[in-house]
Amino acid sequence: MNISREEKVEMFKDMVRIREFEDRAQQIYREGKLNGHLQTCQGQEAVAVGAIRAISKKDIVFSNHRGHGHYLARGTPAKKIMAEFYGKVTGTNCGKSGGMYLVDVKRGMMVASGIVGGNICLAVGSALASQIRKDGVVTLSFFGDGATNIGLFHEGLNMAALWNLPVVFICENNQYAEATKREEHQKIKKISDRAISYGMPGVTIDGTDVIKVYKTVKEAVERARRYEGPTLIECVVYRLAGHSAGDLGAYRPKGEEEKWRETYDPVRIFQTQLLSEGVLSQIEVERIIKEAREEVEEAVQFAEESEEPSVEMAYQYVYQEKN
Amino acid sequence: MPELTGVEALRAALKEEMYKDRDVFVMGEDITRYGFGVCRGLLEEFGPERVRNTPISEAAIIGAAIGAALRGMKPVAEIMFVDFILIGMDQIVNQAAKMIYLSNGELDLPLTIRTPEGTEWYGGGCQHSQTLHSLFVNIPGLKIVIPSDPYDAKGLLKTAIQDRNPVLFFEHKQLYIQKGEVPKHEYTIPFGKAAIKREGKDITLIATSWMVKHALDVAEELRDRVSIEVIDPRTLVPLDKETIVNSVKKTGKVLVVDESPITGGVQGEIISTIMEEAFWNMEVPPRRLGSQNTPVPFSTPLEKEVIPTKERIRKQILEMI
Repeated sequence: MNISREEKVEMFKDMVRIREFEDRAQQIYREGKLNGHLQTCQGQEAVAVGAIRAISKKDIVFSNHRGHGHYLARGTPAKKIMAEFYGKVTGTNCGKSGGMYLVDVKRGMMVASGIVGGNICLAVGSALASQIRKDGVVTLSFFGDGATNIGLFHEGLNMAALWNLPVVFICENNQYAEATKREEHQKIKKISDRAISYGMPGVTIDGTDVIKVYKTVKEAVERARRYEGPTLIECVVYRLAGHSAGDLGAYRPKGEEEKWRETYDPVRIFQTQLLSEGVLSQIEVERIIKEAREEVEEAVQFAEESEEPSVEMAYQYVYQEKN
Repeated sequence: MPELTGVEALRAALKEEMYKDRDVFVMGEDITRYGFGVCRGLLEEFGPERVRNTPISEAAIIGAAIGAALRGMKPVAEIMFVDFILIGMDQIVNQAAKMIYLSNGELDLPLTIRTPEGTEWYGGGCQHSQTLHSLFVNIPGLKIVIPSDPYDAKGLLKTAIQDRNPVLFFEHKQLYIQKGEVPKHEYTIPFGKAAIKREGKDITLIATSWMVKHALDVAEELRDRVSIEVIDPRTLVPLDKETIVNSVKKTGKVLVVDESPITGGVQGEIISTIMEEAFWNMEVPPRRLGSQNTPVPFSTPLEKEVIPTKERIRKQILEMI
């Protein structure tokens, strides 16, 4: 599987966009400008970018509360996501969501779940629809290590394997379920070991290696598209952020985050790689970062200048009225 | 007109919709071979892709049905007993009820969940005999359907399947064996339209599900003493306030009977709705009848003690007139 220079540059750009977007959103949240909860995904950019690039336009994604990167990678405009954080009518959900339940139906991004693991079975059902219709669509399901302990994970993976459904389960193991270290919430060393008990392939990969993520997901997607069944992919990463944007991570051992940041920062790893391969020059890297920052600033400005939803919108679309 | 049991009427609705619409499919535990048998025979007609026995995984049944509905399929998920629906409560409340709203109308969720509830000497005990529909009335975003006879069951199920919203369809276990006239020709019953099952002028008796049968029996037995108007809301969400309020304005008396445990049950909600509009028309205080605030016990005399019966309805009516 050869990956062109251009593709690598595109991947790097997306990773930088996500990092800049999340850093800025976190900062705005800490300035007290945003309400509610905001879970950012710094440290997980390579998973979002690698996995999303491995699917085609018609494919479907079920994301989670830490899913901003998935949407940015899929092409959801940064300004619409930022406006949603601000609760503005121009946001992805017209201000009905905030950061946790983003949706972008046009781009195949279904409603993200704020309940940990809450939409794993929905992804299974989307794949079931594809299997009944034989439409060749593959569904991706993103969730974290914490979600692998809930019943929906078990019920969903069992059903998906039993029926050979075209779905790929991507576990972003970021070492923490909220504030609980992984060693304190599950005994197993590798989450992918659970796959064998459902009768599906499972693999654990370095989730900070965007190329590795891309290749692994691509292979699983192709397998799913042939109706040969689901795959569980565990992407090992480290959450280079708090559980939510206001969380400074006091429960983490001193120096832990710094250690991971030195060695497992996916953006920096890929940047170093592209520089050493000669794919990008330092000047080009700087330009990419500058462009990403500009995009984010435009998004912030758009969000701040956007209108709030009118109060009657609170009552709209509780139901679809017309059949 | 042919007589069908509730099971046959429901099956007829499924068959008609499955023939008409390739997107309709059914799934649930042992639906092809065990249980109350609504889906029996569908496998032979429609094949295993659209008629699916599932693992015992209520959350995955409901979750997968939601996911398929988000993609435009029209799943009809069966939960073998309403008591088991609680395993999938998160999927209904946190996912299904929120999808249309969170997408600001960009998504449809044409999902139907069918499930039997209630008892009457069924003897299932407290984890197989509950009446839980009132729980879901408190969740905006869901439609709640509760048919009382085979005719309504068929017409309402067809409407549920074609509705763009998540519908919970509660089938009383006694409905399954009850017989009633069901026409051969196709018909549907709209949501939000109560049925005046019997006209009367002295008292309004609002009854749901299996309680409608009791209400009609009591109305007949007391016909020489009191003229009872029996109203079946048929759908609790949306609720046909107009028919209910107009009847109470006419009679000035109302008794609401529903098998839900009385505290926090839909009976109180219906009475509140009436009082907001017909308070000054009331001749006596409104009354409500439901199950007692206990788990449903197994032993028949205990069960009879706690669930609403024909005798209790009669007693309430006689006290009110």
